[in-house]
Amino acid sequence: MSTGTLNPPVISAWTAISPFGHDRASFADGVRARRSPVSALDPERWSPAPGGAACTVPGFEPREYLGSKGTRAMNRVSGLAVAAAKHLLADIGVEPGDERDDIGFVLGTTTGSVQSMMDLTRASLTGDKPDHVEPAAVPGCVMNCAAGQAAIWHGLKGPNATIAAGRTTGPHALNYARRLLRTGRATRVLCGAAEEYSPARAWVEHHRRGGDDPVVIGEGCAMFLLEPADLRPPGRRVLGTLAGFESRVCLDGDLAGTVAVAVRALLAAAGIAPDQVWAATGSGFTDAAGEPVETVALRALFGDAAVDRVPSADLLGDTASASAMFQLAAILGVAETAGRAGADHTVVTTCDDDGSVACTLLRLGEPAA
Amino acid sequence: MSEHSTAPGRRVVITGCGVVSSLGTGIDEFTAALRAGRSNVRPISVFDTTGFEHNNGCEVIGFEPERWIENVDIESLGRASRFSTAAARLAVADSGIDLDVLREARCLLSVGTTDGESHELDSMVSQEIDGGPEAMSPRLARRTSAGRLATSIAHELRLSNVEVGSIATACSAGNYAIGHSFDAIRLGEADFALCGGADAVCRKTFTSFYRLRSIAPDFCRPFDKNRLGILTGEGAGILMLESLESATARGARIYGEVLGYGLSCDAHHPVAPHQGGIARCMELALANAGVKPAEVDLISAHGTGTHANDKTEAAAIRELFGDDTPRVVSMKSMLGHSMGAASALAAIGCSVAITEGFIPPTINHVETDPECAVDCVPNVAVEADLRIVQNNGWAFGGNNSVVLIGRYDGPREAIA
Repeated sequence: MSTGTLNPPVISAWTAISPFGHDRASFADGVRARRSPVSALDPERWSPAPGGAACTVPGFEPREYLGSKGTRAMNRVSGLAVAAAKHLLADIGVEPGDERDDIGFVLGTTTGSVQSMMDLTRASLTGDKPDHVEPAAVPGCVMNCAAGQAAIWHGLKGPNATIAAGRTTGPHALNYARRLLRTGRATRVLCGAAEEYSPARAWVEHHRRGGDDPVVIGEGCAMFLLEPADLRPPGRRVLGTLAGFESRVCLDGDLAGTVAVAVRALLAAAGIAPDQVWAATGSGFTDAAGEPVETVALRALFGDAAVDRVPSADLLGDTASASAMFQLAAILGVAETAGRAGADHTVVTTCDDDGSVACTLLRLGEPAA
Repeated sequence: MSEHSTAPGRRVVITGCGVVSSLGTGIDEFTAALRAGRSNVRPISVFDTTGFEHNNGCEVIGFEPERWIENVDIESLGRASRFSTAAARLAVADSGIDLDVLREARCLLSVGTTDGESHELDSMVSQEIDGGPEAMSPRLARRTSAGRLATSIAHELRLSNVEVGSIATACSAGNYAIGHSFDAIRLGEADFALCGGADAVCRKTFTSFYRLRSIAPDFCRPFDKNRLGILTGEGAGILMLESLESATARGARIYGEVLGYGLSCDAHHPVAPHQGGIARCMELALANAGVKPAEVDLISAHGTGTHANDKTEAAAIRELFGDDTPRVVSMKSMLGHSMGAASALAAIGCSVAITEGFIPPTINHVETDPECAVDCVPNVAVEADLRIVQNNGWAFGGNNSVVLIGRYDGPREAIA
């Protein structure tokens, strides 16, 4: 174990398996074009769910995508996480079969695979005997199934953690990963979040929201390589530096106000003025009254130009714990082809109807020498 | 113990313990039960066990959430969140910290869990079977996000300036949360942390272990030749952590010092323990704490009572500690396996073992398995002077975490 580094970690690679397609390029193209990936659900693939449309990853089935070995009982969220990690490891030149004790893996989730969990309970309640459930299905019913599978597939033996903080999972998971690097518990971390589309998840979300509006469920996995800038191998570009994290819980019902408090604290801690922020993006969360609370707060703080630069994550439907990771990916995708005129900072905010609010500050580009 | 730690930053101490368990609620009932070697095994009542040939478990009996939870509508909380929120209240009271002090500080709320609110998901499946998916309850649906085990604590204590989330690394998650909090306080990124774990007994998990033939028909017998598996349990253990300076400045009672922790991943098998992975985790924890194996006075084992775990864990301990192997006990013999709460409750057990000077026994023990060649302190607690205790946690997904807790003897003169 090293002693860690004081340098803030940088993002030097990323990938997204998303409703736009299976790779980073398709995600970046989709976000830049602001194309809607909503499609009608295939009734032959999915049992009846509320609403006939969703944002699913096109043509994705774990068994077809990853091959038949080791995928017989793999659920969809595990398949998405394993696939994203596979892409990212290939991008950074970690060969298949390499065993790495020092690579951490941090994955966000809301509740794991609600479909796997509810299917097992249903089998117990409706089978001939209550223990007549498929033993191979058991591992997929635990919330860390996807992170554990990714570790097995890719030989990742460093710290392996699953973070569940509702829609605010993204900033919290990034902060957890940053601490692993800061304390030397890992030298690199793959950090992402994954959600699967499933009828079970769609029904739970439908009822969670009171069952009125049709909810468009999104799925996928966005994942980033975090590493200390000074430990980067030659030739790997820095895409951005994690420059801050803040979080609050709203106690007074004023979520927009709480977002503003958190973002001001985020900027103050980093010594950044609002006019240094090139893009500020929210998760597209709307409160019970339909108010897009983050957008309201961000427009007041940064003006329309910064807020309109990158679409919010609800372009992909409701991706729940993965939403903030997709926002961060969207920023990187848009920044690839856009001029920034000296304003290098970006802000990602997210909030949940349980009152939690979190935000991340990312400084784009190579760190100043 | 400052001479031990290789970790930079502030020293981190445990100053409050909140317990909701099958052995009782509150640190005093819990400590008395550990010392007496009690358990509270009985047939499971929170779901219908008809059709299972055996159905013993370790439930929290007679829990009255309204005794502890004042500011949150209890109906908005799932069973596990009720446990975590009540345990956090108990930890704050035990620490003696004024809530207004917490509200002015930066706090971390970190709750480990295996199942989140799976008990509520089970109930929703029953509703679906009876009336179709339209019949599932919105009230239950709103309880299901696993992050609520932690955010509910913020609402109950009226804490806004918090880092808050659940760590869903299954049965070692309590140790993960303690380790995460240790780092946050050590680095000065949090002033106080309420951390630990919570889970509720549920059909999904009982059925899973039953199908894997890992549920004991009667009692949990860790390290015994005739052990037959776990008993599913539940509850919450929440610890208050703060820096030593903070604790000293307010004259706090200190249970012990978190000396360090380790994390490793087996990357081997979804459910089976792996000797190499857990040995590496223990090595990392000892290195992080600056502790040599021979300095460890007691190991609180993961000790589930399954054939595979106890054999693998004992072998890993023997491999690493050799002739210096200290006594190795399993509190799961008394508590059952409380999943995400397990290593948090065990960490609390380790803390009171240090302050009260005893080793909690491994109960239900008849004959030690030669393949588990450890002194598990069978059946009866023993008095002991403990300076350093190691708390093990393993999990599905190969998610291993070990925490080291040391006695705090007060400020000492610098050695000339």
